[in-house]
Amino acid sequence: MKHLIRVLGVLIIAALVAACANQRVPAEAALKAADDALAPIKAEAAKYVPDQAKAVDDAIAAARDTFAKGDYAAALTAAQALPAKIDELKTALAAKKDQLMVAWKDMEGGLPKMVEAITSRMEILSKSKKLPKGLDKAAFDQAKVNYDSVKTLWSEATAAAGGGDLMAAIAKGTEAKTKATEILSALGMQPPAPPSPK
Amino acid sequence: MGDETKPGDAWDATQWHEVKPGETLWKIAEQYYGDGSLYTQIFEANKDTLDDPNKIKVGQKLRIP
Repeated sequence: MKHLIRVLGVLIIAALVAACANQRVPAEAALKAADDALAPIKAEAAKYVPDQAKAVDDAIAAARDTFAKGDYAAALTAAQALPAKIDELKTALAAKKDQLMVAWKDMEGGLPKMVEAITSRMEILSKSKKLPKGLDKAAFDQAKVNYDSVKTLWSEATAAAGGGDLMAAIAKGTEAKTKATEILSALGMQPPAPPSPK
Repeated sequence: MGDETKPGDAWDATQWHEVKPGETLWKIAEQYYGDGSLYTQIFEANKDTLDDPNKIKVGQKLRIP
């Protein structure tokens, strides 16, 4: 009887080991599938939604680590959870890009209006025999320098947008807007009013 | 200075001036440009509402280019 129990014990352990080993191939396949699904968006995700991208990278690394330690069943379970995480990442990335596109379109339509107002005033002031109160020659000259900076920044912003780099485009555009606002102030003009509360 | 912008557009830097009693386009041009002779710039920018540069009304809102 004791012998039979020992034999059964050995058989059960062998069956468990075999079962675990059987998980190796599907776990490996699931990890590869996760890598393949992530690859096309990996770079953009790291740029636009870095926190979410890191969470997915960490989850893949953890599953790989479990696999490397030989716990194939746990690695398979972890790998099977990855597609949902990658889908969430794709959704977050798409939402962020949409948000940036809306911001860029707003800026693209708006900043030229600020520049137009500044250009018009500077052209008129250049014809003036005497500058208005509150604006001396040094300040006007500095405004001209800043005006050139705004045009350069805006040109860089549109080039970045044209190249698909909306984050850089918006960063440059924001810098241009800040400088444009400084020029307005230097010329004694009011900056654009903030949007009305809805 | 008396420049104003209209609320609602975070980018529109069009400048406006509300005419006060005793003001003329010449005086307004002096205020904004330092040179009254540039009043024609204001007149041209407001031709949709002004027929005569000598006839502006108190309370009228003028675009200041």
